[in-house]
Amino acid sequence: MRSPNIAGKTYSLMIWTPIKPGEEGALRAYLDGLDNGAGSPLAKLPRTHMARWIVVPDMPVAPGTDLRDPLGTQFLLFTSNLDGDVDSYLHELVALMAVEAAEVWGHCVGCPQPAEGVALKAYLHRNQVDSGVAFAAYPNASVKQIKTALDKRARLIDFAVRAQEMKPAERRKEFLEQFGAA
Amino acid sequence: MNLPAVSPDAPPSNVCGRTTSITLFTTQKPWGRFWMPFMFTLTRAAPKSLEAMDKLSFISFASWSLIRELPYNGPPQTVRRLRYPHLFFEVSFNGSWAQYIDSSVRVLTTGMYTFWGSSRRFPGPLPAGPFQAFFKVHEVDASHYHCAYPDATVTIVRSALELEERLEMFAHRVRHLPEEQFDAAWDAFIEDAQRYL
Repeated sequence: MRSPNIAGKTYSLMIWTPIKPGEEGALRAYLDGLDNGAGSPLAKLPRTHMARWIVVPDMPVAPGTDLRDPLGTQFLLFTSNLDGDVDSYLHELVALMAVEAAEVWGHCVGCPQPAEGVALKAYLHRNQVDSGVAFAAYPNASVKQIKTALDKRARLIDFAVRAQEMKPAERRKEFLEQFGAA
Repeated sequence: MNLPAVSPDAPPSNVCGRTTSITLFTTQKPWGRFWMPFMFTLTRAAPKSLEAMDKLSFISFASWSLIRELPYNGPPQTVRRLRYPHLFFEVSFNGSWAQYIDSSVRVLTTGMYTFWGSSRRFPGPLPAGPFQAFFKVHEVDASHYHCAYPDATVTIVRSALELEERLEMFAHRVRHLPEEQFDAAWDAFIEDAQRYL
């Protein structure tokens, strides 16, 4: 039976850390200000398919019910769908995203000061919560494989359009130059 | 099933390119404490049970978890054990929020009962309106959401992976073909590859 966090070669990571009372606003402001495209700190982690930070103020409750379940402190939830194992991923996270990781988890209760290196990695490990079940649409493809395949597809589309106007010799030559080592 | 491209109807913080995220917490009924772990075990033992989800072709990643307690890091954190177990659900998909709910409830009707039946206030998957309201109430917005390939839908990624394999085989096969034979092979290849472009 597969692990609760694993779907094929991908791993579903979930980390819950309590936010220091009074620092929720600063953390939210920092996260809100991040670029979520190529400039996202998470883009520095090449094994990340999708990832998110969420400030959870409390468990949401349907209006008119008595189901309130106060968390006491607000929590920062970090989840990531990544390639490979979690240990080496967290190692990369504290190394490649050191500044932003310190800025983010530095607002959390129990985070080592300074928030960096082996101590931060251990803190993140300690606050991991297992998934119950994980699903991935392309479970055996890594981020690198996907990006390479998308790039080749885009180049092939471009080539196919231009190839219509090419002479046979030119078509063959350019194809082999572009894709011969595919 | 593929969803047509539409403008996102989720808050910008839940959207990255053509990919949208939903994060949901639903309070469990007492029996959910036992039912959900059982369902998780069953699903992991028989991954084919997620095949219907796979066929939707717009969900890239999803996960479920039962949250009963949270990691404790000492004061000033006060709560460790929760009053109720909560079902955590996160999903990344392409298309709009409303389309995701609407298509999911129509295709995964039985699965919806399996995964959400133990949640309090679950109205049933159909009609979609009350189910959408159930999702809205229990959703928590992301503060930051990132996708490594934001402009590629699930269908495009799958096509690209399939195409790459075929392209590699084709390139290997035609490497030493003369021009006229290459041309015929190229025409056949591009006709076959149309569905991945």
